[in-house]
Amino acid sequence: MSATVHVQPTSERLARVSIRTLLFVLRARAVIVLFALLVLFSVLAPSFLTTNNFAILSKHVALSAILAIGMTFVILTGGIDLSVGSLAGLGGMVAGYLLTQGIPVAGVIHYPNVGATILITFAACLLVGLLNGWLVAKAGVAPFIATLGTLYIARGAALLMSNGKTFPNLAGDAARGNTGFTFVGQSTFIGIPLPVWIMLAIFGLAWFISVKTPLGRHIYAVGGNERAARLAGIRVARVKIFTYLASSVCAATVGLIIASQLEASHPATGESFELNAIAAVVLGGTSLMGGRGSIPGSLIGAFVIGVLSDGLVMLGVSEFWQMVIKGTVIVLAVAVDQLQARVQAKFLPYLQVVDAEGHA
Amino acid sequence: MSAIADQIILEARNVTRRYPGTLALDRVTLRIHRNQVNVLIGENGAGKSTLMRILAGVETADSGELLLEGAPIRVRTPGEAAALGISIVHQELSILPNLDISENIFAGREPVKAGMLLDRKSEDARAAAALADLRKPMQVRTKTAHLSLGCRQLVEIARALDQGAKILILDEPTSALSSVETDSLFRVIQDLKRSGVTIIYISHRLHELLHLGDRFTVLRSGRVVGEAPRSEVSRQWIVERMSGRAASETSKERVLQPDAPAVITVQGLTLGASGIDESAQTPLYDVSFTLRRGEILGIYGLLGAGRTELAESLAGARSLVAGRIALNGAAVHISTVSDAVRQGIVLVPEDRQRDGLIPELSIRENISIGSMGGPLLSDAKQSADVHRLAKELNIVARDLEAPVTSLSGGNQQKVLIARCLMTHPKLLLLDEPTRGVDVGAKAEIYTILRRLASQGIGVLFTSSEIEETRTLADRALVMCQGRIAAEFSGSEITDEALFTAASPVVDTVLSPDSGVHIA
Repeated sequence: MSATVHVQPTSERLARVSIRTLLFVLRARAVIVLFALLVLFSVLAPSFLTTNNFAILSKHVALSAILAIGMTFVILTGGIDLSVGSLAGLGGMVAGYLLTQGIPVAGVIHYPNVGATILITFAACLLVGLLNGWLVAKAGVAPFIATLGTLYIARGAALLMSNGKTFPNLAGDAARGNTGFTFVGQSTFIGIPLPVWIMLAIFGLAWFISVKTPLGRHIYAVGGNERAARLAGIRVARVKIFTYLASSVCAATVGLIIASQLEASHPATGESFELNAIAAVVLGGTSLMGGRGSIPGSLIGAFVIGVLSDGLVMLGVSEFWQMVIKGTVIVLAVAVDQLQARVQAKFLPYLQVVDAEGHA
Repeated sequence: MSAIADQIILEARNVTRRYPGTLALDRVTLRIHRNQVNVLIGENGAGKSTLMRILAGVETADSGELLLEGAPIRVRTPGEAAALGISIVHQELSILPNLDISENIFAGREPVKAGMLLDRKSEDARAAAALADLRKPMQVRTKTAHLSLGCRQLVEIARALDQGAKILILDEPTSALSSVETDSLFRVIQDLKRSGVTIIYISHRLHELLHLGDRFTVLRSGRVVGEAPRSEVSRQWIVERMSGRAASETSKERVLQPDAPAVITVQGLTLGASGIDESAQTPLYDVSFTLRRGEILGIYGLLGAGRTELAESLAGARSLVAGRIALNGAAVHISTVSDAVRQGIVLVPEDRQRDGLIPELSIRENISIGSMGGPLLSDAKQSADVHRLAKELNIVARDLEAPVTSLSGGNQQKVLIARCLMTHPKLLLLDEPTRGVDVGAKAEIYTILRRLASQGIGVLFTSSEIEETRTLADRALVMCQGRIAAEFSGSEITDEALFTAASPVVDTVLSPDSGVHIA
């Protein structure tokens, strides 16, 4: 390599530039794919590029994006959270139960107001998140198994609450003092649906935590080399428990939004949402091995999946083909991720060493 | 009295640490002298790293006490040790590869502003300052995954210094470094000493130690067997204490025929250095040798000399750049492990737990796992072979169906040897054949290997223990930095000869007045 530097400095520089370009394209692939999809669907379906359609689209995306953001924390530490879909279902059912069945105290049924309902829902889901975190960080259960268990537990609990039935009519009753739940999912602010604002708020907070706080740094550290993180004095168990709590808060939020949008809660809500969330995270460039990835990446990943499914619906592609296409995109994304890792491992040390020494 | 006490900054008194089956430290008393380079020497498994982990709060002692400046201290976590000014740079570097240099330097103790925000500016400034102190300015936003091993080590030293380390423990710091990197590390150590830092330095490399050390402590089998200042230390002093002459010499009356046919001939074996990631390997340069029928060939070398790489290359586990291998006179091509096994070359790996045993399976299954012929398991045939081998190798087990983890280290090692013999090998490779094995089982394994050799199987072992090489090998090759540095046979195999040949000469460091004369 060093020989060529002396003989052909120009072609060497050219090679370096093209390697950099290749790496940039590979890294920014999620954004590139998103743009490509937007252009493609705008051309093929004229009604795609309308404000109205975008409002619907962003409402769809908000749900999977919120789950994906929580999931990103977990995956960054090298874990996984399969329970989020069930937790969303459980959250909706807890809210539905409180609004329609109330809490019997000494023979009298009390109906908590909407604020209290939401708080109790979060508390219930946090409890499951805490269980996940404890199982993984303290009991040493593999994250896949621990959260697979809580996936079933939460789903079972949701079904038990209504014996499998739907809680209808969550709009509330003025006499019971619990109206206003529909606000969460149905209101808009400056013309944008509240769920989208919630997504943006969660995104902002999560991004802030991930890059601006020691906690965020520790999450990356644990995923990068858990042993070294422990030796550096990072409290690994605490960090992991936080990530599962964050993920469960996101799941509860999604459950509340869906219940509010439908004014009903159904125990099967959120089935397989966890897979969508994981797909969004992976599409966004976060490594399932932990330590590498970002919150914005997951947001973009969620948009790629959302645009893809809504666009295909508008084009009238059959639901079955949609599944095939979605699966293909996910597999390709991971394959490209591997390619990037390999290209990076091969060329980046060389590029960076030149950089580092150059500035020395 | 007080003058002497003043010199001792840190003392470990009567420290004992027991692991299941072994006594890693047996009432060890170690005195660390202020502002000096305190050298700790001993073979693998002597207890050096355990002792250092206890000082650094990574492990705790079963009994005994630690005294800092004469006052008892308790260190239960690395954080507590760091708060007292004791920091360690671990043998296997504990770097966070996905984070950049300043993130690594401040991991777990990030400076914050406004009570919660990372203070990147002060991190970067302090990181840059620490690296400048070490005379190695680097861009602090470079990901550590892209740094060479030497630079990563400096990042860890910078971390220790920024923590305000008064006592810096370096555990085999040069084992993975190139000689240029080693040189600059030595300059860093001299600088640190001048600025008042006390160094605890662990290494096997004699040249280095004699050049750097002010105080010497030798550990053998978990005990302190020698302690002296530099002026009283010579190469011989170290070698004698390290290897322990007292060990009984097993008889070596083996009749060898110098003109016996070659089992394996290796020519020009060359292995490239792989990347800079965790799996970095020592490159091998032009390694050639011959192993004759009936002979036991030992490969002695220090950590990072390329012993494991050589054994694994022959076993097909590493891809060679160049080299010719002939088995029983016929050239063979080996590119995968199954190639090697089919040709009759098998390896008993260095790390039993990681690369050898399958803990979920029984003793019998562990023995037969490598030699499943047809598509169906044939229990009867296997059992017969397994029972015969278990008997021949004297594997002491209540029941061959018991889990392999129920065996002692020595018997587990025999299980792996049995697994290799199941394939009827022509050449048996053993990487550290008696690591983590007690003395009795050691002797037994030596007897087994001698018997196998006399039955015509080529036996090649690698070892980092002088005593083992001297006892077991009919002929010994010494490796150093990926090359064969010397060859000795029979009575030429002495402690001194092995050790001298194995230590790389760091010629740029040794100025004429600093220690060449000891050689």
